[in-house]
Amino acid sequence: MLTVENISKTFNTPGGQVQALKDVSMTVNTGEFVSIIGKSGSGKSTLLSILGALDNPSTGSIVVDETQINKLSGSKQTQYRAKKIGFVFQQYNLVPNLTALENVMLALEFGGYPASSRLDRATQLLTSVGLEDDQQHRRPTRLSGGQQQRVSIARALANQPAYILADEPTGNLDSATGKKIFDLLHDLSRSQQTTIIVVTHDLEIAGKTDRTFTLKDGKITTK
Amino acid sequence: MNVVTRGVKNAIRSPLKSGAIVLMFAISIALILSMLVARGSVLSKIDEVKATAGTAITIQPAGVMGGMGGGDPLTAEQIASITSTANISSTTSSLTDQMGTDDTNLTASLELGSFGARQQRFDSSSSATTPTTTDTTAVTEATDRPAPVSRTTVTGTTDANSVSTTGGDLTISSGALIDGTSSEKVALVGATLATKNSLTVGSTFTAYGETITVSGIYTTGNTFQDSGIIMPLATVQDLTDQAGAVSSVTATVNSSDNVASTVAALKKSLGDDADITSEAEQAASSVESLQGIASLTTAGVIAAAAAGALIIVLSMFLVVRERRREIGVIKAIGGSNKKVIGQFIVEGLTITIIGAVIGLVLGVLVSGPMTTSLVSNSTSSSSTTETATGGPGGSGRGGMGGPGGAFQGATEQLNTNITQVTASLTTQIFAAAIGITLLIALLGSAIPAWLTARIRPAEVLRTE
Repeated sequence: MLTVENISKTFNTPGGQVQALKDVSMTVNTGEFVSIIGKSGSGKSTLLSILGALDNPSTGSIVVDETQINKLSGSKQTQYRAKKIGFVFQQYNLVPNLTALENVMLALEFGGYPASSRLDRATQLLTSVGLEDDQQHRRPTRLSGGQQQRVSIARALANQPAYILADEPTGNLDSATGKKIFDLLHDLSRSQQTTIIVVTHDLEIAGKTDRTFTLKDGKITTK
Repeated sequence: MNVVTRGVKNAIRSPLKSGAIVLMFAISIALILSMLVARGSVLSKIDEVKATAGTAITIQPAGVMGGMGGGDPLTAEQIASITSTANISSTTSSLTDQMGTDDTNLTASLELGSFGARQQRFDSSSSATTPTTTDTTAVTEATDRPAPVSRTTVTGTTDANSVSTTGGDLTISSGALIDGTSSEKVALVGATLATKNSLTVGSTFTAYGETITVSGIYTTGNTFQDSGIIMPLATVQDLTDQAGAVSSVTATVNSSDNVASTVAALKKSLGDDADITSEAEQAASSVESLQGIASLTTAGVIAAAAAGALIIVLSMFLVVRERRREIGVIKAIGGSNKKVIGQFIVEGLTITIIGAVIGLVLGVLVSGPMTTSLVSNSTSSSSTTETATGGPGGSGRGGMGGPGGAFQGATEQLNTNITQVTASLTTQIFAAAIGITLLIALLGSAIPAWLTARIRPAEVLRTE
């Protein structure tokens, strides 16, 4: 279970203070597939980065499975990200000079997976997201957007995280590919009881999730 | 795949960029090495020049230079006082005289020439007489004066080798060296004089009314020297009725550090009776240009090291900037700061080590010619003779028709030595170069790598 209580986030910018999140509270149950929608600048990505311990809120608390993650030290937060969270980004964010396999193995290394079985595990993960054998040995630049996003999902799943946080996972893909990626995530949440939080502005995708939160001007307006 | 392999892989990720950084760094390492080599050779040459040439002191009676001038020779008491001065390890004394036709049956081999003739223009029986009128004087002198004649120089010395003009031992072409401390009536005859008078080892000639036996024939390559005679000091003193008299002393000091204090002590004990000169003073001015190069190369080492460090720091700084997002990703998926820093240090080290290896090889190749050109440019001498040690130096010979220099042998030696800076690459210099390189490599990669720690993982969510 993930509980967000009264979090606010303020950024200091050259143009003065900007409040990205205002007193946001929400709860996501284990195994749920939820979406957060909102226009650009509504605070979606800020909320996601706070949920993933990439950033800390200015006030409020996030409790994940009885641990208040915003109070953890920097290295504990890194461990939390490595073991509990899987990220999927709009830009895929694969390491460009590593092959698909190596990108997945990198996450396994950070998750403390034994070196001897990393290759097998990475191969298995990439196969399960539908990446063919020869594609697994390619670098990201030689893969299509959809294939890169599959690698990124395999990487997110590497350490069997309890939560997958996806930031516009289909944003850079054509609608057919986007649908396949969405279905892949959907299947995961059903088969592995993984909690998935998807940030999107695609109402069609949001409509297929268990619940949808709407962010507007830093506030959650509907639940 | 671990931190090390990732770092190495990243280093060769963009071959063109890494190649350029490696090349720039290699050049600065090559410069560091060649500057260190140049510095090492110059410093060792300075030491060598100081050690070999800096310990001789020449003491001459005040007013005497070579065979010219006036004044009284040094006395036996003065010699004893010089010998007993602290830090003087050995002395060589000499007394020179000139034999005319009345003194010897030998024919002088040195051409009189206009110079020699001029030196004898006062040698007239009436020259001491005060002329009554100016116009008669000229006439009287012209008629009374005997025709100028060539003379033969006799050097009495406690060490015949001191006559050598090269600073080393005297070259004996036949026969054997004489014992300078004896008082036997023996002589070494210069090759030119021996030929002129058909003298060989064992021949005899007359000098100052005594019969002298030729012990050996010597050559120096110097026309003046090769027309002279060398005899034991005591023999010359005896023959010329100058018991204990000495016209020049060369004293060797036990350490170059003591030269200045010994010169001061001698000046105090001999007072105005003697002129004292030391090679240390000459050596000091001779090595000045070398010291200039030494400090220039020190500055060069520092500048090249700074340039090398700057190249690495700036390049790695740019690399870190360029890969902010990637660093954010690695942190977002659970990579610790330690791992990210480690990876960048390995990347920096890989580039610097490749650069250093190329640079050191390049440095070994260019340091020789560079050192040679640095040294020959600043001493304006092209001599490349290999000579190991400097001798005690010439001891105040010269005189009529001669070179007339007190330190000729020694100064020639100094000039030769200075151009002898061989570009020697010692293990020590190589170790110093590697040490500096490693320091630059570590600093150059650690500083930029440390910056990665400041990159927030949330960076990854920034949309471009």
